[in-house]
Amino acid sequence: MDDIGFILTTYLVTFGSVALLAWRVISRGRSLARQLPDEDKPWI
Amino acid sequence: MVNVTTTASSSTSAAGPAATSPTHAGTRFTRALGIITIAAMLSLAAFGLVFSPADVVQGESVRILYIHVGTVWVAYLAFVITAVSSAAFLWKRTTSLTWDRIAGASAEIGVAFMALTLFAGALWGRLSWGTFWVWDARVTTTAFLFITYVGYLAVRGLGGSQQQRGRRSAVVALLAVLEIPLVHFSVKLWRSVHQDASVADRTTNVTLDGLMLFTLMLALVAFTLVYVWWVLLRQRVLAMQDALDDKGLDYALAERRREVTADALPGSVR
Repeated sequence: MDDIGFILTTYLVTFGSVALLAWRVISRGRSLARQLPDEDKPWI
Repeated sequence: MVNVTTTASSSTSAAGPAATSPTHAGTRFTRALGIITIAAMLSLAAFGLVFSPADVVQGESVRILYIHVGTVWVAYLAFVITAVSSAAFLWKRTTSLTWDRIAGASAEIGVAFMALTLFAGALWGRLSWGTFWVWDARVTTTAFLFITYVGYLAVRGLGGSQQQRGRRSAVVALLAVLEIPLVHFSVKLWRSVHQDASVADRTTNVTLDGLMLFTLMLALVAFTLVYVWWVLLRQRVLAMQDALDDKGLDYALAERRREVTADALPGSVR
């Protein structure tokens, strides 16, 4: 199947990008949450 | 797993984070939503790559369209939410920075998904049209929309107060969203090699295999879940970033004072 490389690349790049960006949001949230008191986290 | 959010002390100090403060931006809801989202994305991979059949005309390349349609749907949704949140921020009764942060978070996600749309579209185009790129009305206006929102994010990064940032970027967002109808109707306004709406248009009598339609709907749901999870967490991160910009120096000074006081106490060891 000639198309398999294109299809797998699409899925890998999409899922990989979403996972990478999600991880960045989580790690940034952890980093900032350590520096701030609860009063600056109204969702708690 | 211990839920730090619910076990954290409610006592807070203006002089810095309490020792028991949660060290993340999540809640029980966002964690549950995250797990559901991962399950939905894994299901999409399974159905998109394995279980759904090949198309009689497009062959296997139809599998790329589940990603292409799902990501462009989220990009449109994100840009519309950006505009609605921006309007809410500008409206005198609801001029809260939370709206501005939701707008910013939504635009960031929209830009990421629009980039993925263009990428998936280019690979699909190579298989179907024989080229990665054509200066077609739909493709070109979509690229223009992407660049416009990159510009919106750049405007958000300019200097000034948070209120200035909010007002400035809200005006840009309300102008930028006007491009979406242009992109959507570009296939009708100009001659285009890009196909028009097919599944959603009842007049075309397009019939999809049940499993193909299910996979397409699964893609829309999975990517929407990613969007909701992401925008919730990202706007919290932006809120903390704003708080740190406002009070970071106060917190650093208070922390230093605590250290000096601790050093001055009898019996303290460095």
